[in-house]
Amino acid sequence: MTMAATTEQITSFTFGDLLSSRTVIGQTLKELGQDHDNLWVLTPDIGATLVEFRDTYPDRFVDVGLSEQACVGIAAGLAAEGNIPVVSGMLPFLSMRALEQVRSDICYPNLPVKIVGTHGGLVGNGGSTHYAVEDLGLMTSLVNMTVTSIGDPLMVGEVLRQSMDMTGPLYIRLAVGKKDKVVYEPGSVRIEIGKGITAREGGDLTIFAHGETVSQALEAAEVLAAEHGLDARVVDMFTLKPIDEDLVLRCAEETGRFVVVEDHLAYGGLASRISDVLVDRGVRLEGFRRLGIPQVFAGFGEDTELRDKHGYGLTATVDAALAVAGAKGGAS
Amino acid sequence: MSLEYRIPLGDQMPQTITRPALSVTKLEDKAYELREKLLLLCGEYDGAVHIGGDLSSADIFTLLFQYGMHVDPQDLRNPERDRFVLSKGHAAVCMYIAMAIRGFFDYEEIVRTYGRLDSAYGMHPCKVQLPGVEVSTGSLGHGLPLATGMALHGRRNAMAHRVFTLMGDGETGEGSVWEAALAARSNDLGNLVAFIDRNRQLMTSFSEERVRLEPYPDKWRAFGWNVIEVDGHDMGALVEAFDALPDPDSDTPTVVICETVKGKGVDFMERNLAWHAGSLNDKDLQRALASLADGRKAA
Repeated sequence: MTMAATTEQITSFTFGDLLSSRTVIGQTLKELGQDHDNLWVLTPDIGATLVEFRDTYPDRFVDVGLSEQACVGIAAGLAAEGNIPVVSGMLPFLSMRALEQVRSDICYPNLPVKIVGTHGGLVGNGGSTHYAVEDLGLMTSLVNMTVTSIGDPLMVGEVLRQSMDMTGPLYIRLAVGKKDKVVYEPGSVRIEIGKGITAREGGDLTIFAHGETVSQALEAAEVLAAEHGLDARVVDMFTLKPIDEDLVLRCAEETGRFVVVEDHLAYGGLASRISDVLVDRGVRLEGFRRLGIPQVFAGFGEDTELRDKHGYGLTATVDAALAVAGAKGGAS
Repeated sequence: MSLEYRIPLGDQMPQTITRPALSVTKLEDKAYELREKLLLLCGEYDGAVHIGGDLSSADIFTLLFQYGMHVDPQDLRNPERDRFVLSKGHAAVCMYIAMAIRGFFDYEEIVRTYGRLDSAYGMHPCKVQLPGVEVSTGSLGHGLPLATGMALHGRRNAMAHRVFTLMGDGETGEGSVWEAALAARSNDLGNLVAFIDRNRQLMTSFSEERVRLEPYPDKWRAFGWNVIEVDGHDMGALVEAFDALPDPDSDTPTVVICETVKGKGVDFMERNLAWHAGSLNDKDLQRALASLADGRKAA
């Protein structure tokens, strides 16, 4: 499946522009609601961009107010009746306050509830109450849960569309969702849940990323090429679970050196998923660096400032790539 | 109250599944049978059974499965069926046996396999392993949100069935219960009925000593619910309460607060904190069965 279907719905954007993931979600849900009369949208007081769905299908929209636990439980009840509920909200609260409902009400009976939300990572300047930085660790540990993290706003629509056929639960992590960079030329990449996307070819090392750090990784790859003569591959591992093992192993074989950069705690997210694959398969890399949030509550600041402060911004990504590339024949 | 975008309801679908509607005398016999079978299982199984809360809710289970609910053991997924959500999941064995008496399951199989490897019958119910169970529960405070979602489905599709849930009073300490109470009222779910086994005991304490739930009915009234208070061991009163439920297409969810006694029917278990859960050796089983029989004679 490609993105062509999605992009027809979006009337005005150009590649490289900033686009609102929230707008894409709103439009996609409205469109999907037409074909799926069992699609519901639920929210705990979030989602002005869900108004389109609400106004078009008021009988399938529920705003429970500030009640994340009830929101997820109600979604599970609806799914038990054969519906496809999409819960939209802020991820720090959906992933933690309602974690047990996600686990026991949705994952245990394996119900097709989608959880889609914003504030994945150090975004929005809300402070640590409003940053979801543990969410991928929590969600990837849940049985039956499929976990995605998406930066390109157009991908969100495509993943939602594909998810209509899924029998189990799905987690979709976004950053802020108000202004997101369109990473891929529409139709240029194949998007399939469970498969990583090679966003840039390269043979010297692989930079793995997900969500908004994909654009940062691509930028780092350009710097590496222009200033250091290094040819970095960039993989958008937007599905963290199930992880695309084949792609990890292929990149290990073909490039031998990895940098993983993510807007999440450095341990428990994508770097940990990839490490698990390597250890389980007995693969020894020539260099490996993980960049992410250390064990701190991160404080206030703009997204890029916080990434720089905590060592996983653009400069740190370039430096890590240089370090692993220079570490021939030994662990970095 | 009115919502900004209130949902107009169409004509209700018909309810074609019949309900047993047994007489009060027959219901009392069924409740006795349920308690007796519970004790026998408790004697058979080596591990602990949540016998206290099973015995306090046995009459409510009997009311629902032998009198009120439109369910068909031969047609588990019939869309017209009433739904039952066991929020107090630790009373699973009481539900299994109540459903076995109604014809859903085989009691002998429950006794033979309960809690054993690969059994469908565990301490807390799992819908995946045991079709006929509507939802998997066990963690307290989850049932009302789940039932609210199911009732919302029925309501918005103008279906005639009700969604019932059974909670313990202790578990209404969970915040998620009150989140769902708000949501159910805000969405006009008159098809939602919550029975509460008000046995006034938690696992380790008596509720009014440790957690002051009173004025309990007023709490539900304050959330906009229709409140029915009833003696949870008086079968005639339970039947009256059931008959007094508003129609499923009404706008107000109902809570039926059943005043009960934890361990009801077995003198040494009644209101005894030691019998939240336990197992019965042969001697205690005989004592328990004798006490149950004495209680019936006295009544």
